[in-house]
Amino acid sequence: MRNHGSEVSLSAQATQSSAVISRRDLIRAALLAGTSAALGPAFSLAQTAAFELTPAQRGEDDSKQLADPNWKPAFLSEDQNETLIALSDMIIPATDTPGAKEALVNRYLDLVLTGESAESQQNFLASLNYIDSESQRLFGKEFRSLTAEDQDDLLRPLAYPQRPSFWLNKDLPDPGVEHFGRLKSMIAVAYYTSEIGERELGWDGSFTHGPFQGCEHPTTTHK
Amino acid sequence: MPQDVLQQTYDAIVVGSGATGGWAAKRLAEAGLKVVLLEAGRAVSPKEFTEHMPAYKLKYRDHSPEIERTRPVQKQCYACMEYNYEWFVDDLENPYSTPADRPFSWQRLRIVGGRSLVWGRQSYRLSDTDFKAASRDGYGDDWPFSYADLAPYYDIVERYVGITGAAEKNEMLPDGQFLPPMQMTCGEVRMRGRVKAKFGRTLTIGRAAIVTQPHNGRAPCHYCGPCERGCSTFSYFSSPFTTVKDALKSGNCTLITNAVVRHVDMDSDANKARGVTYVDRLTKETKEVRGKAVVLCAQALESTRILLNSATREYPNGLANSSGVLGHYLMDHVAGGGASGTFDDLNVLPSANPPHRPNGIYLVRFRNTPSSGKHPHFIRGYGFQGGSGPDFNMEAEGLGAEYKKAVKQGIYGASLGAFGESLANFDNYCEIDQNLKDAWGIPALRISMAHGKNEAAMMRDAGVTAAEMLEAAGAKNISVQTSFGIPGMAVHEVGTARMGNDPKKFVLDPFNQAHDVKNLLVTDGSCYVSSACQNPTLTMMAITVRACDHLIDRFRRSDV
Repeated sequence: MRNHGSEVSLSAQATQSSAVISRRDLIRAALLAGTSAALGPAFSLAQTAAFELTPAQRGEDDSKQLADPNWKPAFLSEDQNETLIALSDMIIPATDTPGAKEALVNRYLDLVLTGESAESQQNFLASLNYIDSESQRLFGKEFRSLTAEDQDDLLRPLAYPQRPSFWLNKDLPDPGVEHFGRLKSMIAVAYYTSEIGERELGWDGSFTHGPFQGCEHPTTTHK
Repeated sequence: MPQDVLQQTYDAIVVGSGATGGWAAKRLAEAGLKVVLLEAGRAVSPKEFTEHMPAYKLKYRDHSPEIERTRPVQKQCYACMEYNYEWFVDDLENPYSTPADRPFSWQRLRIVGGRSLVWGRQSYRLSDTDFKAASRDGYGDDWPFSYADLAPYYDIVERYVGITGAAEKNEMLPDGQFLPPMQMTCGEVRMRGRVKAKFGRTLTIGRAAIVTQPHNGRAPCHYCGPCERGCSTFSYFSSPFTTVKDALKSGNCTLITNAVVRHVDMDSDANKARGVTYVDRLTKETKEVRGKAVVLCAQALESTRILLNSATREYPNGLANSSGVLGHYLMDHVAGGGASGTFDDLNVLPSANPPHRPNGIYLVRFRNTPSSGKHPHFIRGYGFQGGSGPDFNMEAEGLGAEYKKAVKQGIYGASLGAFGESLANFDNYCEIDQNLKDAWGIPALRISMAHGKNEAAMMRDAGVTAAEMLEAAGAKNISVQTSFGIPGMAVHEVGTARMGNDPKKFVLDPFNQAHDVKNLLVTDGSCYVSSACQNPTLTMMAITVRACDHLIDRFRRSDV
């Protein structure tokens, strides 16, 4: 459990807040002149300024943002981006359904990483670099230039780790497995939260299919 | 705003429009009293509900850096997401402090409806084992009323709110006025049977403030899943679309939004509250509204903050604080102990499609009950919440087509997570931080709370008992959790203005009136004497109705 709400951090925020507030106040005063503390309809959006709603609450649909034909990575270098595409395509390839590449997993991760802390950015890059350094060590070239077969040879031991021996090395985590695991879980989140990923899981686009039915077995089944 | 809104003297000023404030406004206004309802935040509209929006339409798919920047505390709440984070307070505008070694997570909303917009909806009655706990084990104080006193008000609240649930005739968890229960999964049916057979414990479907049939003009749940983003059919209970709406419909209630209450104003000669002063959230203007009675429903810590900020010459340590206990005995359920596992033999594939049941299971407290006897390591007890069902397995090992297949094959999980009683302790408290103010210049709180040895012992026990029960139900891959969250993480904070008969030991009298100032009431969770282990909102609402009925009686007798 992180040590939340510590005196130091919250006091620091408090001193910043007056500056933050006064700027916002000006906008508010302009937008809401005469309507503050309004008694009008209690359930109307009319008195709510747009910046007091999340983009989702404003009804914005950002599902097409990543498909921009002029897209360029903002956080990743071009090379890192290519490595990520190759890696995500090995972990979640197109089968009878589209894979990570079609789902633009690299673009989503580039967007999210742009807003992440320096520490998580560094962790991500360290893991990506590990894949390339292993590739250099084993095959003498970068991961994205390997054949699919060589890429698979490189990743397979990381994806199906041997259980450590009870007698030997049991306390030594395999750094390769950790690096791969970090990248894979981020790629999986990016894929399965995309529209392609939701459809892959079988979502039919509906929000309701009647009441929850629960267990319909005879009463003795689960004794 | 029409000028006369602040010119007149209301019968009652209700501060806060959440679960309890909504009830106070409804009850008082429908009885014919002239009520003004003050809400610190803005109005809310069904147009901003997002429960049917898929995550891929969000720019960051719930990883928005904006939440991290403006809501570093609020984002600790599972319900604060990229969909709805603007409903939660901006932490930069609403600071509070804690000692570095006693962190507290204060999760709150300022908007019409408050936390009732995003609450977990679990609704359980307390029993006399809770109300008379001190008499049984010698720790702390009893409540100033018994279950029989509150039962009629539980009935009133449940009939109006609509609680789905099943009657169990369990001594620890009185049955209520239930709408048809939601159904259990195969795994839950199995757990229920085996836990009863092997341990004699009761596992029931969650009792939740969600209607499962048409109720008071609200449509039944359509099982889309994420209630905390709003509900287009108003199937879960939230105050704006029920109690607040009724209060306004009565013609006797005036709602003022964006009214950040600073303090209660006193008529010192008469020793009566004469109104409240608030700061307009948007213009920062200070305004005063006058009333014959003041009912604080601002949330436990906020109501106490208002009283502490209302010190006068007569009450130098905070209004209605002659006892010296205002701010003390802060409680929040200890949560986190439990276990999870898998039912590998239940071959049910996960589904991405609804119905998604917005409810879980409840395993009734079985420690330190009248029939179980005394536990050797701790007093009081805990209940489990959880569930069982198939889910997609993103953590599956491997890669490529095999991985994609394994994700869809899924995993049939089962979990039990405890909510345990938080003992009332004088040393868990809030006070005014003299060096910290919020964005409206109102002195902010310093909160100091830590869970103690009893809570830790309870969570260790919960880890073991949860694992035993999952094992008895045939679960595999069981993992045990005995650590617990920091105070505040259960979002069940209660206490700080506790109620009781003795004015020297309690802030409020048995009808939620301040002992010191009889026309000043606090009916939210701050009145709690002991936390019990059940989710508190239902009890807070019942207590509010009881207190309001008493106040209405006083008005009828011209005794205010």
